[in-house]
Amino acid sequence: MSDLDKAIAQLRACRPIPEIQVRELCYKARELLIEEGNVVTVDAPVTICGDIHGQFHDLMELFRVGGDVPDTNYLFMGDFVDRGFYSLESFLLLLCLKVRYPDRITLIRGNHESRQITTVYGFYDECLRKYGSANVWRYCCEVFDYLALGALVIGAATELEPTDAPFADPSHATTVSEGDEVEVELLNSAGHIVTRHVRDRYIGQSSQLSNPPSSPSQTREQTPSRNGAPGTGATGSSHGSSGNGGGAVLCVHGGLSPLIDSIDKIRLLDRKQEVPHEGAMCDLLWSDPDEIEGWGLSPRGAGFLFGADIVKCFNHKNDLSLICRAHQLVMEGFKEMFQNTIVTVWSAPNYCYRCGNIAAILELGEDGSNAGYAPRSNGDVERSHGASNGVLTERMDKLKGPGRRYRVFEAAPQDSRGMPAKKPVADYFL
Amino acid sequence: MASIPNLNTLGGGRRGHRLRGGRGTTPTHEDATADSVERGRDQVVQQTDHDASSSRMSAVALGYLDDPYARTFFGHDTEIPKRYPIINRGTYVRTKAIDRLVKQFLDVRPTQKKQIVSLGAGSDTRFFRLVDESSASNLHLVYHELDFEANVNRKRTTLRQSAELSRLLKSGGDRGLTYHLHALDLRDLAVKSPPEIPSLDPQLPTLLISECCLCYLPHETAAAVLDYFSMHIPGSMALVLYEPIRPFDAFGKTMVTNLASRGIHLQTLKRYSTLEAQQGRLRLAGLSDGQAARDVLQLYDDDDWMAPEERERIEKLEWLDEVEEWQLLASHYCVAWGWRGEAFGEAWASRGGSSSIRNIQMI
Ligand SMILES: C[S@@+](CC[C@H](N)C(=O)[O-])C[C@H]1O[C@@H](n2cnc3c(N)ncnc32)[C@H](O)[C@@H]1O
Repeated sequence: MSDLDKAIAQLRACRPIPEIQVRELCYKARELLIEEGNVVTVDAPVTICGDIHGQFHDLMELFRVGGDVPDTNYLFMGDFVDRGFYSLESFLLLLCLKVRYPDRITLIRGNHESRQITTVYGFYDECLRKYGSANVWRYCCEVFDYLALGALVIGAATELEPTDAPFADPSHATTVSEGDEVEVELLNSAGHIVTRHVRDRYIGQSSQLSNPPSSPSQTREQTPSRNGAPGTGATGSSHGSSGNGGGAVLCVHGGLSPLIDSIDKIRLLDRKQEVPHEGAMCDLLWSDPDEIEGWGLSPRGAGFLFGADIVKCFNHKNDLSLICRAHQLVMEGFKEMFQNTIVTVWSAPNYCYRCGNIAAILELGEDGSNAGYAPRSNGDVERSHGASNGVLTERMDKLKGPGRRYRVFEAAPQDSRGMPAKKPVADYFL
Repeated sequence: MASIPNLNTLGGGRRGHRLRGGRGTTPTHEDATADSVERGRDQVVQQTDHDASSSRMSAVALGYLDDPYARTFFGHDTEIPKRYPIINRGTYVRTKAIDRLVKQFLDVRPTQKKQIVSLGAGSDTRFFRLVDESSASNLHLVYHELDFEANVNRKRTTLRQSAELSRLLKSGGDRGLTYHLHALDLRDLAVKSPPEIPSLDPQLPTLLISECCLCYLPHETAAAVLDYFSMHIPGSMALVLYEPIRPFDAFGKTMVTNLASRGIHLQTLKRYSTLEAQQGRLRLAGLSDGQAARDVLQLYDDDDWMAPEERERIEKLEWLDEVEEWQLLASHYCVAWGWRGEAFGEAWASRGGSSSIRNIQMI
């Protein structure tokens, strides 16, 4: 067993590795990451994950539900550290896996992969507590500076190979008939199908279709329900002509930036630095989609809010069918917005051991039928003129989205998580 | 001058309904065990004051709140705890919202003598801040703080040891602000023949404050405590309370189990689970002239409660990344207030930000 495999085994048991090993690991990781562009190209199939936040036992649950590395390809969209009790073990394990299986796992940067944020939200203190010095924190921060800012998933199939699993609730069972394309499946952690959506075939007749069942926004009195399809906005609102292949999927931690109108502009940034307080790099890691028109100020004090029109323009211009991001807690684990042009994936169940949410990961399948990333062919279709009204939006050229399989899961059982003997700080107002 | 009556003799220590096994019989072994279990539970409740006090200390240290006495009661030698930004923000909103309702009450009819009773006051600093802020003027106010004996003793020790606080008590006393600290288990007020609270003046317009206190009592007991005051004080009376709400959604359920694992049981939470239920409870408690309730998120987002400059100021203090979590947390706590009598009507229905307050009444 190589040293790396030993380190992986030790970290899988949630035991930190010695400082000297961390240094070596971080050095190797940096050498590897420095070769990556700001936007890494990733081939489908891939399983996309959102925030982890040091919830180590839930990360193990994620691997149980999604499959282990290297059998499953993973793309983690940042926020590995802070808040949870095991940021160190979680991040180092992911980093070891990255060094061991560089083509099987992609890590991109989240806004918590920053010196400033980790000193407020726990990772710095955790390193100090576990090693008695800030050295390990410093090594990790150096790695943070090299993480890519985004990933472009290409070759994702527009339809899912239907899962050969029973329905969780047989009364929701849908049969897939000849010629049906399965667009979305939602599976629970036991691998049973909760819901399945078939893509609408009657292109051009969309006016007769009702709007997508809007994703349940996180309303205050709402309890996440595992019936129905929480978060799914899948319908036949896709208007790409059938000749269109699927577009690529852009993955970033936060979202878009008013300074960035093309993926190539992301590629031009100088990323090897601490996350700045403003500017394009900051926005990619901090912004959020919102039900507004254009751009808005973010309540987070960094990044921006951006509306459906912005997403549609960006996707159109960059031949994207979907933007996949993390960054925001969603009680149902994932949430599709703006007619499935953007999705939030959140992978930390019962976030902070307090929020009561479920988590999700998103699987994109491999397109076996053609080369996958087919550039838009009908670029003459009405482009956005700040299109925000329904009609114009409907008419915007939109690529067929990838088939999406969401697996949701809950927090790992309490007894397996080995809470630290010392009770966590008061997380409530008393 | 601050008379600090010794209430240890008063109803004290043993509550009526805890006297199991009947009078005159020696307690059985089981009684003794049950008693020690209950003492343990009470201890956990008493210690919640340390949480409140630590959160206050954290918010003060970071500049959210200006409160020179937080440190005095928290302890000068104790390391200042670090709370997450959302906790600091919540502590700020809760303190300011109650302060504001208190101030509006004190500002109305300034020459009239008034009374405040803080239930489960713990290490609360509000009285001392009031003395400070009113340093130029005369205020006619009788201020009572009630808590378990253990917590009251701790506060008394601090008062005795701090020259600053002694001076403050004296200067307040000279200007008509009297302070009373009572060691009392509130549940003792819920029995058939409850004790008198010394110096409680039934003739004064009286504001009760329950800042995260009544929620630890069984709901019947909490209601009986309010009845006690309602019966003793025939005239103007009001209650401002701050407590958790919404226990039934995913966040609320997790909150209930997490706190239970620390031995903390929010006994009124399910009954008063919404803003509406809180208002209904105030109405039932005889505070029939007006009731209002808002969750902490609403308070924070409302320019009437949070001046935009203030919001901007506190948002600059710390980088709060956890926006969704803040919304969850802040929507699970509320400030509710209800009243009877004109003094309160004037204070709360027609003064600053009145329109919004009137609107709330109609919810
Ligand atoms: C969470 S602390 C709040 C302290 C203070 N009101 C504040 O907000 O900073 C709750 C307080 O209520 C007190 N308390 C709870 N039940 C009580 C009872 N039955 N009798 C007297 N005090 C009680 C506790 O001892 C504790 O000091």
